[in-house]
Amino acid sequence: MSITYLEAIREALARALAEDPRVFIYGQDVGRFGGAFKATKNLIEQFPGRVIDAPISEDAIIGLAVGAAIEGLRPVIEIQFADFSLLGLNQIVNQAATLFWRTGTPCPITIRLPSGGTIGSGPFHSQCLEAIYAHFPGLIVMTPATVEDAYTMLLDAIKIDDPVIFIEHKLLYYHLKADHIHDEGLPVGKARIAREGRDLTIVTYSAMVHESIAAAEELASEGYEIEIVDLRTVKPIDTDTVIASVARTGRLLCVSEAWPWGGVGAEVIARVVSEGFGLLDAPPLRLNAKDTPIPFHPNLWSMHRPTARTIADAARKVLRF
Amino acid sequence: MPEVPIVMPQLGESIAEAIIVSFLVKPGDFVTADQPIIEVETNKATMQVTAPCSGKIVEFKAKENESYPVGAILGTILVSEEEATKLGLTTKHPQPIGTAGKPGAIPHKSIEEKPRVQPTVTGLPVPANLAGASYMSPRMKARLNELGLRAADLAGIQGTGAGGRVTIQDLERFLAQIEKHKTTPASPLRIAVADAMRRSWTRPIAMVAMPVQLDKMLEHRKNFPEKPGPALYVVRALALALAEDSTPAGRLIGNKIVHPQSIDIAVAVEVSDGVMVPVIRNADKKPLRDLIGPYRELVSLARGKKLPPEMTGGSIATVTNYGVFGLTFGTPIPLPEQTLVLGLGAAQKVPHWDESLGQFIPITQAYLTLSFDHRVLDGGGAGRLLGRVAYLLNHPELL
Repeated sequence: MSITYLEAIREALARALAEDPRVFIYGQDVGRFGGAFKATKNLIEQFPGRVIDAPISEDAIIGLAVGAAIEGLRPVIEIQFADFSLLGLNQIVNQAATLFWRTGTPCPITIRLPSGGTIGSGPFHSQCLEAIYAHFPGLIVMTPATVEDAYTMLLDAIKIDDPVIFIEHKLLYYHLKADHIHDEGLPVGKARIAREGRDLTIVTYSAMVHESIAAAEELASEGYEIEIVDLRTVKPIDTDTVIASVARTGRLLCVSEAWPWGGVGAEVIARVVSEGFGLLDAPPLRLNAKDTPIPFHPNLWSMHRPTARTIADAARKVLRF
Repeated sequence: MPEVPIVMPQLGESIAEAIIVSFLVKPGDFVTADQPIIEVETNKATMQVTAPCSGKIVEFKAKENESYPVGAILGTILVSEEEATKLGLTTKHPQPIGTAGKPGAIPHKSIEEKPRVQPTVTGLPVPANLAGASYMSPRMKARLNELGLRAADLAGIQGTGAGGRVTIQDLERFLAQIEKHKTTPASPLRIAVADAMRRSWTRPIAMVAMPVQLDKMLEHRKNFPEKPGPALYVVRALALALAEDSTPAGRLIGNKIVHPQSIDIAVAVEVSDGVMVPVIRNADKKPLRDLIGPYRELVSLARGKKLPPEMTGGSIATVTNYGVFGLTFGTPIPLPEQTLVLGLGAAQKVPHWDESLGQFIPITQAYLTLSFDHRVLDGGGAGRLLGRVAYLLNHPELL
C-alpha cells in the first residue's frame, strides 16, 4: 500500500469525522466538488450534512467557524489557497486567536492552508504565511513535511482546543508518498531529527525538509555530515531540539520557502544566538525565498525559492567558515 | 567553430599561481562543462581546473611541472556556436600563449579576452571576509574557558577554517592528539609567569643594547665586605637615571602617560620553576651602601619563595642579570605592568683600543640591554637612558 500526502490528509479528515460527531468540514467547493485539491473527495457522501460548501467569503467562513466553535463544534476549514486566508485575517487573529484569552471559551478550529509555490502559480497562489500567523499569540501553526505527519498532525490539530493554522505544502500533495501511516506521531510542538549529522544543523520545515535532505546527500559526497531538524510545528517552536542539535554541530543554517524578513529562520537564529551563543563556531545563516513577490515564470520561480543546489551552496558557506 | 580558452582560475584569495601536476584529458577528447581536466598544485592544496564549457580539447599550451599565474591561458576548447552563444562565452580566438614571451607569463591580452564565465574549481575553500588566524568563534571562546585554555595555547594548531581560522573541530582533534603525549602539571609559579608574559606580549616590545665597561664598578665593589653584585649597581644606576627623568618608565593607558609615583625597582631572581621579582622601594633615595643589606635579604626571601606581598609588585622597572647564566645577550620581556626591563649580560675580557696609550688594553665589558614598550619610548630615548646607566656604572662613586 502506498499513500500520498494529500490522501493522508483526506484519511485524517475522514477519521476525525467518524470519531467525533462535533467535527465538520466547511469551505469553498469542499462538498460535491471534493475541494480545490480533492482533499475532501467523496467525504460528502460518507458524512452527509457534515461537509458543507461555503460562500466565496473567507471572512464569513472563519467567522462562522468561530461561532460554531463557541457553540461546542470543531470546525475544520479549508481555504482554497493560503493566500486567500488574508481575506479572513481579522476573524483569525482578532477573533479566533484571542477568544479563549478574552472569555475563557476555547476556540477549537482548524484552518487548512494549501501553501507554497508550484510551477507557474505566481504571487497569489504560492505564498507561505506561517510567519505571519506565528506572530499572533493564541494560534498554533503546524507545517508537516511528511505523509505520516500530515496524517497525525491534522488529527492533533482537530483534537486540541486552540485554533490551529495547518500549513499543507501543495508541492507535496501528489508526489510525496509513504508505505503506511501510523496512528500516533510525535507530540505536538516537538521537532524531529530528519537526518543525523555532526558538521552542520539545517533547521527547516514543510517542503524544504526534502530539498534540504537532497542538499545533505550532495554534501555527504563531499564528506560533510548534515543534521536536519524538521520543526514540524513552527509555533510553538521546539528550541530545545534545535539547541541540542547546534550543540552537536556548532553550525546553523535555517531554510524556509517563506520570505526572510521576520521569518521562522530569523526567530530560530535569534533564539540560538540568545540561548546558545557559546555553541556557535560559525555565524548562523538563513536561506529564504528572495525578498520579492513570487514570480509566475517557471525559470524565475526556480531562482526565487531555495532549492537543493542553493541550500548546498549556503551550507558550504557556513561549513567553510 | 569558436575556441574557448582554458584559463588558470583564481584558486584562493592569496594564491597568485599554481603548478600543473597533470592533464586529466588529452587533446581531441570531448569534455563536458565543469569536468575536471587539469590537476594543479598551489602552496595550499592540490586542486582541479574544470572545463569552462562542453566541447573538444584542441590543445594544452601549458606544460606539466611548470607554474602559471592566475589568468594564464592553459589551453583551448573547441565548442559549437550554439554552446558558446548559450554560455555567453567570448567567441574571439584567444591570444596564443607563445606570443606573451616565456611560458608562464600572463598573456598580454588575457584580461580583455577573459571569458565572461569563469572556469570553476572544485574543492576550493571560500575565504570568509572577517576571518583570520586570530579570529575566535563564540564556541571556541566558550570551550577555551571551559578547559582553562588561552589563545596562545592554540598557536600550534593548523586551522582548517576560512583564512586559516582554527575551528572547533581543529581544537577537538588537537586535544585528542595531545592526550597521547606524556604530560606533567605546570606549577602555579610557572602558570603565573606564563600569564604575565602572555599579557605583556600584547604590546609592541622593542630592544636596544649598549656595551658597558665594568672595571671601575668591579674595583668599587671591593670597598664593601659584602661585595655587592653587579645587579645592585645596575639597580641603583637605573634608579638614579629614572629619578632624573621618569618619563621612560611611564605607562601608556589610552591617551594618557601614567607616571611612576616612586622609583621602585624590581630584580629578577631565579627560583625553582620560575622567576620571582622582589622590589627595592625608593631605590633612588638611598646610596648604594645602604641598599646592600636590604637587597641581600630580598633575594634570600625570594629564593626561599617567602616574599611577603609588600615586597613584590608595584615596581616601575625590572633589572635582570642574565649574565649569571653565562649569557652575554638576551631579549627579556618587561612585566605587563611595566614599560622597561634592563638586562645585564655576562662580563667578558675584551681588547680595547686606548687612544692615549696607542695600544690595546684588556677591559671587562658586558652588554646592557633595554627592552621597552615602543608605544611609550623610542630608540633615542631608550638609548639615552641606557647611556646614562652606563655612565653611572663607569662612575660608581656617584652611586
